[in-house]
Amino acid sequence: MGSEASVKHAHSRVEIDTATAPQAALDAARRAAAIDIRFPAFKDGRGYSLAALIRESGFAGELRATGDILPDQKDYLTRSGFDVIAPDEGSPRWARASFTHAYQPGLAKGANDRLPAYRARALAARKAQVQALNQQYGDAPPETIIAVALEVFAGRIAMLSSFGIEAALGLALLAQVDRAVPVLFLDTQRHFPQTLSYRDQLVAHLRLEDVRPLTPDPAEARAQDHDGRLYERDSEACCDLRKVRPLNAALDGFDAVITGRKRAHGSGREALRPFEFDGERVKINPVAGLDPARIASLYRDMKLPAHPLGAQGYTSVGCWPCTAPSAGTHPRDGRWPGSDRSECGIFDPVRTARAEAASRRTVRLIG
Amino acid sequence: MRAITANRLTDGHVVYRRADGIWKPSLIEAERFADDRAAEPALDAALRDILTVVGPYLIELDGERPGGRKHVREAIRLKGPTTGTSLLYAQER
Amino acid sequence: MYRYDEIDRSIVSERVEEFREQVSARLSGALTEDQFKPLRLMNGVYLQLHAYMLRVAIPYGTLDARQMRVLAHIARHYDKDYGHFTTRQNIQYNWPALVDIPEILEQLADVEMHAIQTSGNCIRNTTTDPFAGAALDEVEDPRPWCELIRQWSTFHPEFTFLPRKFKIAVTGSDADRAAIGVHDIGLKLVRNDAGETGFEVHAGGGQGRTPRVAVKLRDFLPKGELLAYLTAIMRVYNLAGQRDNIYKARIKILVETMGAEAFTQDVEAMYRQIRGRDLAVPAEEAARLAAFFPEPSPSTLPEGVSDAPGYARWRAINVKPHKVPGRAIVVISLKPRAGAPGDATADQMDAVASLAERYGDGEIRVTKEQNLVIPHAIAAHLPAIHEGLREAGLATANAGLASDIVTCPGLDYCNLANARSIPVAQALSAALFDRGLDEDTQDLTIKISGCINACGHHHIANIGLLGVDKKGEEVYQLTLGGVADNGAAIGKILGPGLTPDEAVEAVAACVGVFRRKRKDGETFTHTLARIGFEPFKEAVYGQ
Repeated sequence: MGSEASVKHAHSRVEIDTATAPQAALDAARRAAAIDIRFPAFKDGRGYSLAALIRESGFAGELRATGDILPDQKDYLTRSGFDVIAPDEGSPRWARASFTHAYQPGLAKGANDRLPAYRARALAARKAQVQALNQQYGDAPPETIIAVALEVFAGRIAMLSSFGIEAALGLALLAQVDRAVPVLFLDTQRHFPQTLSYRDQLVAHLRLEDVRPLTPDPAEARAQDHDGRLYERDSEACCDLRKVRPLNAALDGFDAVITGRKRAHGSGREALRPFEFDGERVKINPVAGLDPARIASLYRDMKLPAHPLGAQGYTSVGCWPCTAPSAGTHPRDGRWPGSDRSECGIFDPVRTARAEAASRRTVRLIG
Repeated sequence: MRAITANRLTDGHVVYRRADGIWKPSLIEAERFADDRAAEPALDAALRDILTVVGPYLIELDGERPGGRKHVREAIRLKGPTTGTSLLYAQER
Repeated sequence: MYRYDEIDRSIVSERVEEFREQVSARLSGALTEDQFKPLRLMNGVYLQLHAYMLRVAIPYGTLDARQMRVLAHIARHYDKDYGHFTTRQNIQYNWPALVDIPEILEQLADVEMHAIQTSGNCIRNTTTDPFAGAALDEVEDPRPWCELIRQWSTFHPEFTFLPRKFKIAVTGSDADRAAIGVHDIGLKLVRNDAGETGFEVHAGGGQGRTPRVAVKLRDFLPKGELLAYLTAIMRVYNLAGQRDNIYKARIKILVETMGAEAFTQDVEAMYRQIRGRDLAVPAEEAARLAAFFPEPSPSTLPEGVSDAPGYARWRAINVKPHKVPGRAIVVISLKPRAGAPGDATADQMDAVASLAERYGDGEIRVTKEQNLVIPHAIAAHLPAIHEGLREAGLATANAGLASDIVTCPGLDYCNLANARSIPVAQALSAALFDRGLDEDTQDLTIKISGCINACGHHHIANIGLLGVDKKGEEVYQLTLGGVADNGAAIGKILGPGLTPDEAVEAVAACVGVFRRKRKDGETFTHTLARIGFEPFKEAVYGQ
């Protein structure tokens, strides 16, 4: 096996060979801006796994394959994470550049990356299923939408709840069907104490069995928000640290998530459908069509406790530094007051568009 | 004695090299060499003939038949599979 | 049966085009043989003794009538009218011309078949229980998972240049008819206490020069984690497997060198590191694949009866119970008296295709014992199936008997072989038939390999023969006590090497000892354990 001795430094480009130990290769990747992996023989496939390890570790620099390489290996090399192929002898013209589809996940940077077939197909199926569900249940009442969602996505669905002003309704409807469904709560560590006590009150009242608080990564929080006042400097970065990233990590393993979003909230939510495909997951919005009056009457009918801040003029509650009582007519007017922000990023339309583009490369299904 | 054999590139069939450099399926027509050394120049030429054959090499001959350590293999290459024939194939030669 | 979608189709047909370009580059001299060889091997093209050999993958040994007809067509038009079904549930053609192979591959692609990765140091065709989806004792049909593995392993960018070839076998039942213990990775579908099905994972088994039984890495792997776990095993092997010595390059040597515990730890650590989104098997895809393998519908018709000659015996020996009422599993023996094991003519392939189509939902399997199977035969039509097989010369009633001999192609075809195996099997078959030694030998396995690579599976035969080259002559070592299925075991050498003739007599003598000493239908393993090697030694080397 390789050793430190086989790792040669040349400015910020480092050359290793296929015999380099995996740990030494990863160490090199941390120090270098560009890495050459030298293949002593085309059959020596260790270079592919080293490239994959290096790419998976987050290395974003140039990864170049050198040495004894067959032109027809180009596609395998690119998909394993190499972005430059530089064989000792020039490429004969008959090397085929690339192929339309791949069965496996690829690590190529940029546009050449292809979704593995199994994911491409699953996403296409998911998208088709969302269309069918909207067709059938587009105008169904919230309790039907929740029941259908829990059946279709059994074992891979969670509810996302802010435990905010109108959260009790969705949670109560969920609890009527299955109290064991995971409920994800973004514990930003910047919540109003009233929100936390309301959460505890609802969990007890509805006997929810699996509420999962999602907290920011402690190391990241120390690094980016050392004084705890990141919200003052950059509220978007704060949301990213305390909401977007913890949620993304927690959603791994869930194919569907139930939200409390409503068309009446505006901010681009006016066209919200009960089932929504974001290019990767299914979002279920059972209360999308309810207006404030209807919600208020359901709270009364179901005898649901109210959020303590509701009585103080709050119509939408987020973290305390970025939430104020609603000043205008719009329910989300009190969020990020004085800025043009209206969304924290967990429902980011940019991310959604990107995922949608990726899923467009899916195909018609047979069978 | 020695002869040079190979498989034909296009169809893989067994061929033997004649003195004029032409490859033929018949061992009878193959050029004979007294030993490995005598065959060297012809083998070198055969190895350069990459558009006609694959993997030329020397075989030992025992009279008109393949001989030496690889005689069974070379007899099978010459005459075809022995499946369905006597197990005593090798001894019958 | 799995059906290709646009993704599968484009992946396979683009590779056919690529190979066509590679062949013309070789013929024009743009590629040397050294450059071309790894490329042709990736497409299943070997150069053997007499000709090129094309090995076509039959994914997990499952094919349909339409595909079988194309296999017959290829045998008829591009070969010498026959094909050879192998111990890895594939088919080999012994005589195709290189210039014809791109066209053959194109015709295979038309019926959703290919020869991809049937050679080279990559993940080979996954094998499974030939009775999958039909067996009475199955926990779950393994074929959807085999198809997932087929796709994941096809042109895997990271695992196409492994230290050595790599074979994965999957079984869905305890009776393990896939010999998972002697595969690089062996997977067994099991049910846990919660009632969920998942995989028991084994690795490091293999035959060849150093036969080893696999070690168990995990008791239970959730099914959705399969690709992440396989990737972890492959990556550990790809990075750490020996590459400087071809005889020590298989994963079994790595597992043995590292120790099962350390190897398992490395795999588990890698698995924890890489598992997640892209490697998780999406529920939709698992469901989509499963839908391709529906259970056949029951038949209410009563089982057919026949007094045709040989029917009763064939019914008793070659027909196995099916999990669906009114259906039966029909094993078609490719082992007629003195035949070449596993060979089938083009006409025979067509006949099997027609029978499967008419009486068994069109489905066919290939077994590692080199036979064919109609897995979903309608029991009412068993007499008609028998009649059709008899007309095609395929009604030999010896499935699982001593004369159901397994062999590799051996020195008659293979470039690696040291000795012939088919003629030995033929002589032995004739001896067993003619001397009545075949009776009462159910489940006795005899397997012959022409070299230590053990393609004939001799290590895991009750009675095995290994051909070696001893100073230019063919010599055979006889081994006893190997087991393939349901707990693999490696046979032990009985005594000194034998000439071809002696080998035939020796095996016949061992069959005789077993028949005389066997008690109450016990297996060969039990008889051997009870009476030891001595009676066999005496019968073979006595006097």
